[in-house]
Amino acid sequence: MITQMHMKGLMFDPYNNAYIVVLRDEEGTEMLPIWVGKTEAGAISMALENVAPPRPMTHDLMKSILDAYDAKVISVVITDLNENTYYAKIHLTYEDSEYTVDARPSDAIALALRSNAPVFARESVLNKQSSEELEQWLENLKPEDFGKLDS
Amino acid sequence: MDDPGQTKSPKDQVLVEYKVDRVLDETSTDTKIVVLARQDGQTDSFPIWVGAAEGHAIKLALDTTVTPRPMSHDLIKSFADHLGVTVKRVVISDVKNSTYYATIYLENNGVERTVDARPSDAISLALRTHGPIYITQDVLTRRNTANLDSWLAKLDSKNINQQEVRES
Repeated sequence: MITQMHMKGLMFDPYNNAYIVVLRDEEGTEMLPIWVGKTEAGAISMALENVAPPRPMTHDLMKSILDAYDAKVISVVITDLNENTYYAKIHLTYEDSEYTVDARPSDAIALALRSNAPVFARESVLNKQSSEELEQWLENLKPEDFGKLDS
Repeated sequence: MDDPGQTKSPKDQVLVEYKVDRVLDETSTDTKIVVLARQDGQTDSFPIWVGAAEGHAIKLALDTTVTPRPMSHDLIKSFADHLGVTVKRVVISDVKNSTYYATIYLENNGVERTVDARPSDAISLALRTHGPIYITQDVLTRRNTANLDSWLAKLDSKNINQQEVRES
């Protein structure tokens, strides 16, 4: 079972000096936080805000290489979030064949946003996550912790 | 500046092969310097300033460091491998206002495509795919001023940095 997730936001985690990509399902019952590095957060933020950088960033290049050969990103699935190792799969079509490529969730999401492809999470990933715990954690974040990505 | 009357076809461009020699830390700023070394017998170093993350990606490939999870350029290589696309070469093809431009030449079943890229991404990908890195003679000729601008921009921080090193 997989559940489609939507980008709820991107925030700074001052305790870990990292960024959190927050995904939420359609009904808002499931929330999935994914901790990413600064560079990865930047790549996601640019796509979220539709910022066109003067030069192609790494994920823009990734997309233009796929575009050059008419390969299409169909979907992205977050498959596992262990403590230090995060897993995602990128599903592609190219010349009537389908390909599945292993990736980090941050790269997968950055590419999905640029390709207008849906992002899914495997049920086991969502079950691992206690939503209550997360909400409590989010409530404790101060408003100034949000939107610090530009700095 | 380019002479507007001058026309250049990419096919006429003279290409000189370079290899990544080393990646230097510019600790005082959030940048790294990728030093390319000329491969045709002539001695020449070609420095390019890149962001810290971009420099790190190049360093990982240069040291053939295996990371637990694929980094962004490993993913690009993985896409290319899955689709049967090969990186024929990357070319540092232009310089404007101290910014270098690169072109990645791809091939798949005889179908060639070129993709515009930042030199840092192009170099990262070339190292991972064992594709050759070239600089056009045109860029080599025009780089002096570009280089100077970069150096001047970094000069202050660089001096401070050197002093720190000497004093410690």
